[in-house]
Amino acid sequence: MGKDGFSKCHPAVNFLFFVGAIVFGVLFQHPAYLLAGLLCAGAYYLLLCGQKALKSMAMMLPLFLIIAAINPLFNTRGEHILFHLFGRPYTQEALGYGFAVGSILVITLLWFGCYNRVMTEDKFTALFGNLMPALSLLLVMVFRLIPALLYKSKQITDARRCIGKSGENLTFRQKISSGMTVLLALAGWSLESGILTADSMRCRGYGTARRTNFQVYRLHLSDWVLLAALALTAAVTVCGAAVGATEAAYVPVFTAAPVSVFLPVYCIFLLIPTIIHIKEVVLCRIFISKI
Amino acid sequence: MKKSTVFTLLSVFVLIPGALFLGRFLPGRGFYLTSTLVILFVLLPFFLAFEDRRPQARELVLIAVLCALAVASRAAFVWLPHFKPLFGVIILSGIVCGAQGGFLVGAVSAFASNFLFGQGPWTPWQMLAYGICGLVAGACYHKKDRLPKDPLSLGLFGFVAVLFTVCPILDTSTVLTSLTVFTPASVFGIYAAAIPTNLIQAGCTLVTLLVLSKPLLYKLARITQKYGLYQ
Repeated sequence: MGKDGFSKCHPAVNFLFFVGAIVFGVLFQHPAYLLAGLLCAGAYYLLLCGQKALKSMAMMLPLFLIIAAINPLFNTRGEHILFHLFGRPYTQEALGYGFAVGSILVITLLWFGCYNRVMTEDKFTALFGNLMPALSLLLVMVFRLIPALLYKSKQITDARRCIGKSGENLTFRQKISSGMTVLLALAGWSLESGILTADSMRCRGYGTARRTNFQVYRLHLSDWVLLAALALTAAVTVCGAAVGATEAAYVPVFTAAPVSVFLPVYCIFLLIPTIIHIKEVVLCRIFISKI
Repeated sequence: MKKSTVFTLLSVFVLIPGALFLGRFLPGRGFYLTSTLVILFVLLPFFLAFEDRRPQARELVLIAVLCALAVASRAAFVWLPHFKPLFGVIILSGIVCGAQGGFLVGAVSAFASNFLFGQGPWTPWQMLAYGICGLVAGACYHKKDRLPKDPLSLGLFGFVAVLFTVCPILDTSTVLTSLTVFTPASVFGIYAAAIPTNLIQAGCTLVTLLVLSKPLLYKLARITQKYGLYQ
């Protein structure tokens, strides 16, 4: 993850890009724009996650196909009838619309997949921490406590296994009560130690001053340049949407606006993280080869 | 006036109607964006109200522990696939911490668990659904002795609460993401297809509350009494 150039930019740049990409992804139904979105999001997701990305993409494919296939069952409008199912026409146009809605969902999922890798918890709390100090502290504590509790629960389960109270080969009822015992032990431990944490926080001056972040994020010149590039391409894309370049209707007859200059601009907007990622990798290769 | 009051008025009278009105001009599947915005405007006043109270460290930590417990509770049931005690923990938190605390525990645990399992278009819907689950529990049971708090009635309450507040909200999100046309048949088709999973969820909550409510409520009552929280 440390290799991704876009992740090293200011969190605000990351966040604004993903807001833009997801909003555009939801709004544009034009097949060319859908294809562009799928390719760009897929490319960046592959660069970020590698092998894991292929696995989760393989899980999105059935979802995509199911959504595409069930929609014509409800939506019977359209001119070209493929066949009749349950006495209702199953039309080509409705199937196309189903594919469009399926790809919108897949695009959103892909962008969120990238978002999960780029916008880590600390970036999110650094970005919104000053707006809601108590809430972001709450989030930070929850993020720290979840791994601690998972670890503790494994310890408790392992200890119980040592004394012969493993959860395997039990009836359903026994499994439930065994799990509840672990959960209760976990609750007792975490509540008491939580109060200890709180008292020590108060002793060290919680609430006396503004909370600072562990990581210091500053907007550098490169971040401003990137923001300007994102704003420019996004503004052109919004203009394109306003003049109807991204419009398409699927039922009852398929109509789509002609592909215009706005499509490449939209692609540039979506490809900015990918370009930065590749630039970083190439620069890194060059520097290594010079050594 | 408090920040949260101002924002609540603003959101009810300006932001939500504004989003609904402007949403009509959005192309494509703009309704999904509009609905997400409306949910955010509903969630924000709750969070701001929590900020306005300037919570003490102990209260903050108690809520954080309850959120983490709700998210991590799944790990205690490694031997039982598909068993999620999450809603049970959220409901018990609502009973102890009141409507506001319950909402916060629900919404924050939904948000935090999605950092583990992946954020998606469902995140705001889950935050709203889980939050309302805690809110309803807090509104019905917190500091009220009229309703019986024995495990069976709490369990039935949890079953009904999950089935009729959490599940419909989450299913609506599925309806909005997966359909091209909204006819009664298609919408009810999706809701009907979700009934088995919803029943499993509600059943898990019922079982969790049956077994867990008495000992966990006892532990929580002990902590709140000992340290003077939520009294």
